[in-house]
Order: sequence, then structure tokens, then C-alpha cells
Amino acid sequence: MFESLFEFLFKYRLLLFQEGDFSFTSPWPWAIGLIVAAALAVPSALTYTAARGDSTAADRGIMGGLRLGALSIVVFCLLQPTLIITSVVPQRNFVGILIDDSRSMTIADQDGRQRSEFVTRNFTGEESELLNQLAERFTLRFFRFSNSTQRLGDVSELEYRGSRTEIGPALVRAQEELAGVPLSGLILITDGADNSGEALAESLLPLQAASTPVYTIGLGEEALSPDIQVSRVEIPRSVLVGASLVVDVIIAQRGFRGRTVQLVVEDEGRIIASQDVELKRDGEPVVARVRFEADEAGPRLLQFRIPLQPGERVGRNNMREVLLNVRDEREKILYFEGEPRWEVKFLLRAVGDDENLQVVLLQRSAENKFKRMNVDDGEELAAGFPKTREELFKYRGLVLGSVEASFFTHDQLNMIADFVSERGGGLLLLGGRKAFREGGYEGTPIAQVMPVFMDDELSDGSGPYFAEVEVRPTRSGLTHPAIQLGKDETALEEAWETLPAVTSLNPISKLKPGATALLEAAVGRGSAKQIVLAYHRFGRGKAIVLPIQDSWFWQMSADVSVDDQRHETFWRQLLRWLIDGVPHGVVVETDRERVEVGESVELRATVSDSAFMEVNNALVSAFIEGPSGPPLERRMEWTVDEDGVYGAAFVPTEPGLYEIRVEATRGAGSLGTGSTFVHVTESDEEYFDAGMRRTTLERVADETGGRFYTPETVSNLPEDISLTGAGVTLTEERDLWDMPFLLLLLMSLVGGEWIYRHARGLI
Amino acid sequence: MRAFASLPVILSLMLTSASGHLPLPETSADQPVRASNPVREPTRFFGAPPMPAAQELPHHPAFREYYFSRVAYTGYARGWGRGFGRGGASWAIDYPKADQIFLSFIDRLLSNLDAYEWQHPVLLDDPELRRFPYLYALEVGYMNLTPPEVVGLRGFLLAGGFLVIDDFWGPNEWANFEYQMEQVLPGYPIVDLSLSHEIFSTFYEITELLQVPNHSNGINSIYGGSTAECYGCLPQVKGIYDERGRLMVVINFNTDLGDAWEWADDPYYPLKFSTYAYEMGVNMILYAMSH
Repeated sequence: MFESLFEFLFKYRLLLFQEGDFSFTSPWPWAIGLIVAAALAVPSALTYTAARGDSTAADRGIMGGLRLGALSIVVFCLLQPTLIITSVVPQRNFVGILIDDSRSMTIADQDGRQRSEFVTRNFTGEESELLNQLAERFTLRFFRFSNSTQRLGDVSELEYRGSRTEIGPALVRAQEELAGVPLSGLILITDGADNSGEALAESLLPLQAASTPVYTIGLGEEALSPDIQVSRVEIPRSVLVGASLVVDVIIAQRGFRGRTVQLVVEDEGRIIASQDVELKRDGEPVVARVRFEADEAGPRLLQFRIPLQPGERVGRNNMREVLLNVRDEREKILYFEGEPRWEVKFLLRAVGDDENLQVVLLQRSAENKFKRMNVDDGEELAAGFPKTREELFKYRGLVLGSVEASFFTHDQLNMIADFVSERGGGLLLLGGRKAFREGGYEGTPIAQVMPVFMDDELSDGSGPYFAEVEVRPTRSGLTHPAIQLGKDETALEEAWETLPAVTSLNPISKLKPGATALLEAAVGRGSAKQIVLAYHRFGRGKAIVLPIQDSWFWQMSADVSVDDQRHETFWRQLLRWLIDGVPHGVVVETDRERVEVGESVELRATVSDSAFMEVNNALVSAFIEGPSGPPLERRMEWTVDEDGVYGAAFVPTEPGLYEIRVEATRGAGSLGTGSTFVHVTESDEEYFDAGMRRTTLERVADETGGRFYTPETVSNLPEDISLTGAGVTLTEERDLWDMPFLLLLLMSLVGGEWIYRHARGLI
Repeated sequence: MRAFASLPVILSLMLTSASGHLPLPETSADQPVRASNPVREPTRFFGAPPMPAAQELPHHPAFREYYFSRVAYTGYARGWGRGFGRGGASWAIDYPKADQIFLSFIDRLLSNLDAYEWQHPVLLDDPELRRFPYLYALEVGYMNLTPPEVVGLRGFLLAGGFLVIDDFWGPNEWANFEYQMEQVLPGYPIVDLSLSHEIFSTFYEITELLQVPNHSNGINSIYGGSTAECYGCLPQVKGIYDERGRLMVVINFNTDLGDAWEWADDPYYPLKFSTYAYEMGVNMILYAMSH
């Protein structure tokens, strides 16, 4: 509306005024013009001054001003005002047209029609006005883009089957293809839902450098409504079998405000969890926490699904499929205890049935006398606590009980710190009379690793600290998998509230920055609370503290039923969490866990030796086994960029699950193996966040000097490219003296003077 | 007995250096108990030596990691079995001297163990029983558990507690004990523990089962007398496992470890029996606290 009005009044579109230069093209010099103006103005002024009649000074001023204004417009027109613009030379320049060929173009949200119909309507057939206008001015080159970018002979070849929308690479590719010709600009026709994962700014740099404007046409609605989408599933890629999982599922929606929907988790057709989720305001995401156990080993394809709701615009974004590698491995944890304690018995008893945990016990039963349990052979720990990195780092978790810091050599203390920070192991520090400050750990390397400060705020200073603590989960703890003793938050809180009190000898109440407390207890001494379970990441690993000394009472108390499994569950979950994510010597990763047939999968293996020093001269091979056929072997090469990192790639040829097993050797010795999985299937990524991304497209246009259009405004595009595009251009002058606005203004001034006179009785 | 050949030496040194006076726990109220791990006052009764009053303790009533908890059970013998001093009860044989001397040795043999130094009798129907996961019971041939005691002991064992049985002899006493345990743990068989069982090597390596005699038989044995209290009885160590194969009860049958603990300070009592009894005592404690 504004643009139309502007064009009516000023003869040309606003864009011309923005892009062009203003000038007077009158053959007369400026001075003559001024003299003529003065010659006209001065007699007028004198006349008004002399022939006063009944007029007042104000009347004469107003009428004189109106008259002078009218004369000024005449003079302005006589000076021949002109707009000097630069426009491209017709048919001398090229324009690249990039059309989104991905699946999201089939979403029907353009007045009930598919987004792709805009392309069909405007770029196919001889009657297409937009195409004809562009073709009149430019030589057109078409491209299709989705996962890749290709030249397009005919727009009717578009299939809209691409699994991704990669805008940045598409722009770069088109610019490269048209590098040798005068290029006025690129037209990008898409919904803008870029999911390439690459930074768009980098792709725009060459376009900015070459001054190639990009004109973007956004298709589709910005916000699909009504629609529900399972936006994201926060789940580890790999867990031990039997692990308790608390999975965050982020659900976005529009049009279903306040409604309760059911979130279902399926493992290959078997429902393993379901939860009701109350949706909030439109556009506000909801986080649903689902609890379930990974009870079957192997790669599991889990589906997180919300049943299709009536009227939903897109159904395929109601389900997310994630790949979870459930490992049936036996992980070794070293538990070093400095004295005979019941905690030992009940801890070992709690995890004794867990086939995936091997808790190796080293217990000092008397001075210089050690007891070993669950060792692999007679050599293991025969000399007591490990003295070398190789010996210690073969464990994935380390539990330190009530043992004084002075027991360890300085090298051993450093080694324990390195176990966490460099090896990436899990360290659990238990409470006791020889633990924490009471064990002399202040100022040691282990104090650095701890997630807490060894303060004494809780102690009354009159002697050794002692507190009976009723343990409660913190806000963070309610959702943490390590302390899940109930099916939901209510059951979890009740489970902890009904456990008997235990005791602590270690006054721990201050978290380090970045640390998280999961369990705590009020001890009635000010507002500070006894920290019962806290952790933080430290280097590559994590450190956890549990400064209580008799969790075994959760098993033995007369208030707890003999069949109660809370003590067992707590310890099993805690130790599993301790070693969760702890790396092996060979770690294999892929750039994506889900790809389509024909898409390249990048493999990355990190190789370390037994002391967890990165190895650059290893022989690393990847064995890739698909759903059928023999395993494929790929040699992995050191990437040079990073120590110990090897890379390779492969292209899956059939849908299904691919297992990638990597073996690393150095000399005659094996450095270990690692494995991961990739799911090869048709991608549905295009249906998520499928609304038109106006901001992305506007940004592309703004940063390259182009403009953003919708199907409603796209009719101006051909002329805009002519005026603002690059390439071979010419300069042209456009007269402004005949703008309707000037005429209207002149008439207003003259008419205004007449009306004034009439009103004042000066005629 | 390969490991810890030093135990007889320690025993000998303690006996000689103390000139017959073992370092018994101080019974005076002036001498507070060690309070490195203070918290809760254990059950005290039955003629136990006077304990320091709670307000005389430096900080809190005592709570220690290990208590040598003697089971004060209801028995047949000599009237109602709970009254120590009421004509005696079978549970209290050798009490409290055996407990005290045993604990004084444990303090030296297991110097890392935070053990409560005093005798510590407990009732099987006391809800606090499960605070003390190690129980010691003797003369169980005269045990006659009440229903609440049966329930209490069953819960204790199935929850993870450990029971050591000692000093009962012959088929009659065995039959009574077997009957009592059938009430406590019906369907849980009593099985032999061979010398290859870990309880015989947890700390000390025990390669031979000895019949530990009572005090008088021990002294007589020096002159060729029998160590047995019944004709032809041989020492046996048996056990009861839970359904997951975890040892809950250790039964020292036809032997009297308690007397060897009690009379370890008697220079006439043969050292080999005291040594064996202490080795078994230490092994049973460490096994109970780690298995």
C-alpha cells in the first residue's frame, strides 16, 4: 500500500530514490536560476508590502510565504530535476536461480497448496510472468539444491526429495559456476530451513567479496499452526545395559495450548515408557522427562512419539528416532578403602549382581596389609595401590574410601588427579573419619579435583564433626539418573524421605563454581546444608563426592524392608554413572548418527596408549559392517591437526544399521578397539522446524546487498535486480519535474492562498 | 598357618609384658572412650561394667564402626535366660571377660579397625539391632528363641547381617540349634565350610581346624587330656548361605573359641589354641565386613 502510494506520488518506486543520485539537468547555470527566482520573488514581496489594504502583517506573511512556495516549485521544475540511476544492461547479464529441492517444499502451507507450487507457477510455462520478466532482462541459470547443488536444465525436473537444506554450500557452488560471466545476482527460492549445520556467515563471505547480491524468496508460513513437534531428545549415545535413563524430550507446539498429550517411547515396537505432557503457551517449548531402563543390549532404535493430533499441519515431526548403543560390557572400578568398614561389604553386596560392573576392592585391613577382591589374577594390585599410570588408568572408575592423604605419595596423588583430568576417569570420594579434611586432603592435588571446598562452616568447632543427616534430593537431583529411586519426581522424593538417616563426619557445605549438588541434608546449623552427593566435570573426567560414612544403613535399618532395593539401586546407578562416558583407549565417533544411503559418513577415531597419551604412529583400521555383505575395511589416517586423531570416510549403500569397529595397533602390540553404530535411513529432518525462516533469509539478503521477498511481493523482483544488481550496467536519467507530487503541491499552495484570502476577506 | 606367624609372638609379648594383666578397657568413668567416630550410645545392660555417663564423654555418645555384639537370647538353661546374674544364662558364658580381652587384642591386630572397646550385648528383638551387623552367640544348644527374637534375627540376617556361633557341643546341642535356626531361616540348609573357603584365608591363612578346648580341658591337654567336651566330638565349621550364595552364619561346632579368647592371658592355657581362636576371630570379622 505504502509502496503503491509512493510510486503514484513520486512517479518511481522508493528503491529508485534509494539507489539513484539526484541532480538538476537544466542547461542554465545555477546563478541564472537564482537571479530569475529573485526577479520573480522581489517584486512579489514588494507588491505585498505596498498594497496592504485591510491586511495585517501576519496575513501578508502567510500569503507571501504561500506565493513564494508556489514560485519555488516552478523554479524547481524549470531547473529540470533528474534521478540518475545505474541499471544493468538487458540481456548482457546472468542471474542464477537456486531452487530448494528438499522435502520440506512439499509442505502444504501456501494457502493450502504446497510450497513447491510457487516454483511451478512462476518458473514453468510460457505464461509465467515472473519468469518472462526475468528472462527479458537476464540470461537465467537454474540450480537445484538440497544435500548438494546441481545445475538444472528444466525446472520440471525438480523432485523435492532432498533430505537436507544446505543454503550456504548452494550459494557458494552457484557463484563458483557463474564466476566467468557478468553476474547480476542470485535468486534463492526456499523456506530457509537450513539444516546444514555450517555457519552461514562463512558462505556469504565470497558473495560479499564479489558484490553479488542474493535475492531471497521465502516460501511457507513462518509458524506452522496447529502443529506439535518433538524437537529434540537429550540422550547419551552409549550406555551400559540395565542403565536407568532420564531422558529430556523437548516438545514444541502451536495451536494446542494447555492440551495434555501422551509421549510414548518405543523400542522397536515395544512400548518401554509413556508419559503425559501438558503443553504450555503457543511457541513455548516443554521439556518432558521420561524414565526407563536400557534393558536390552545392542544398538537400539528408540522412537519418541506423540500421536498425531487432529488438524496438525505436519505429522512427520511428531516422532524422533534415536540410536542408543546399549553395551553389554564389564567395566572395572577400583575401590580403595583404608580400613575395615561395613560400607565395603554393603557396597559390594549392592552391585554384586550387576554383571556389568566389576568392583575391584583393595582394602587396607591392617598397617601395610591389604586385602584384594574381585581381581582378575594374582598380579593385579599385588603391590598395593597402583604406582604407575598404566596400572591405574586401566580402571574406568576410582572410589576412595576412608584413607588418609598421607598414605599416598605425591606422585600417586598427582596420578589420581590425572586419572580424572587426562584419562577422563570417574573419581568418587566417600566420607569417613580419614576422608576429606579429616584425612588431611587440604592442599593436595585431590583437593583441586573435588567439586567441593573442605570448609568447616557446619562444624561448631568444639571437636570432631558429626551429623546425623536425612538425605534429600536437590532440584538438580530430581532429574539426575544417578539418584532415581522412583518412577517420577513425586515417587522419587517419597523414596528419599522414607530412607533412614545416616551419618557424616565430614562437614562439606560449599560447592565449587560449576559443581552441582544432587543430594543434601539440613543439619540444623544455620542455612548451610550438608552436601551428600555432588559432582563436577574436571578436565576430561568427573569427580563426585559422597561425604557420608554409612549408606549401608539404608539396607540394614529396621525401618527398611528386607526386600527393599533402594540401597542396591542407588549404588548400582551411582557406580554406573561414575564410569558413564569414560573413554576407552580407542574412541570411535561419526559426524552423524543417522544418514541416508549415498551420503558420506565421516569417521573419527581417537587413539591413546595404556597411559592415555595420544598416539600418532598407530596403524588404525576401520571395519564397517552393513546389513548385508562382507565387512568393508578402511585404513584410517592420522589427521595431523590433532594428536591421536585418525580419520576416514565411507558411503553406505543400503539402508539399515552399520557397525563400525576400529582396531589400532602399534608395532606388534594392540592399542585396543572401539566401535560405534550408524543408522542409514531416509531422513525426516526436513519436517522439523519447517516454518519459513524469515530472519535467515533477510540476513542473507541484507548481508549481500539483495532483498527479501515473499510470494506477495515478488513481482518487483525483476526490476529490483535491474536497478541494484551487479554486472554490466549503464547509467540513465529519469525526469522528476513531472512527478504528480509537485503538481499537487503547487495546486495546494496556490489554492491555499486563495482560500486564505477568502477567509480573511481580502479579495 | 602361613600368614601372620607374628600373631603368636604378639600374643606372647602381650602376655609377658603385661605380667598377667591384659590391657583391659578402662572401666573408670574418668577415662572416656575414644571418640573419633562419635554418635550413638549402644545398648548397655546385663551387668556390663559401668560406662561413662553421656555428659562425661567429650562430644557425643560413642558410635563406632565395629561392635562385638553378643546376642542375649532367651534360653532354656537355668531359668529365664535374660538375666545375667540371675543364676546365669547360657548366652553370657565367658561374659564379659572374653569380650573384653578379645577386643583388646583386636585393637592391636586390626589397628585400622575402628572397634568399640567394650562388651556389647544386644537383644534380637531390639529394632536397633541392625545398627550392629556383626553378632556373636554361644552355647546355642540352650537357645530357645521367642517369636519376636526369631523375626528379629531373620530380618537381621536377610538384610545382610552376619552371625557367628560358638561353643556348643555334641548331637543334642546341635539338634536344638538346628531346630532354632529352622525357625529363623526355614529352608536354608546348614552346610560344611571346607578349609578352602575364603573365611579361612581372609587375613590369616588357616590350614587346619583345631578343636579349641575350654580352660580346664586346655590345660589338661598339655598332659594328654582330651580337648573335647563330648565323647568323640570333632571340630567343625559350618555355615548358612542366603539364596544368592552369601554367607550369613558361621557355626563353630564342637569348639570353644570364646574360652581361648577369655583365657589368652593365662600362661598355662596353650598358646596354639589362643592363636587359632584369634586368627579365626580376625578372619570372621574381616570376612563379615567385606563379603
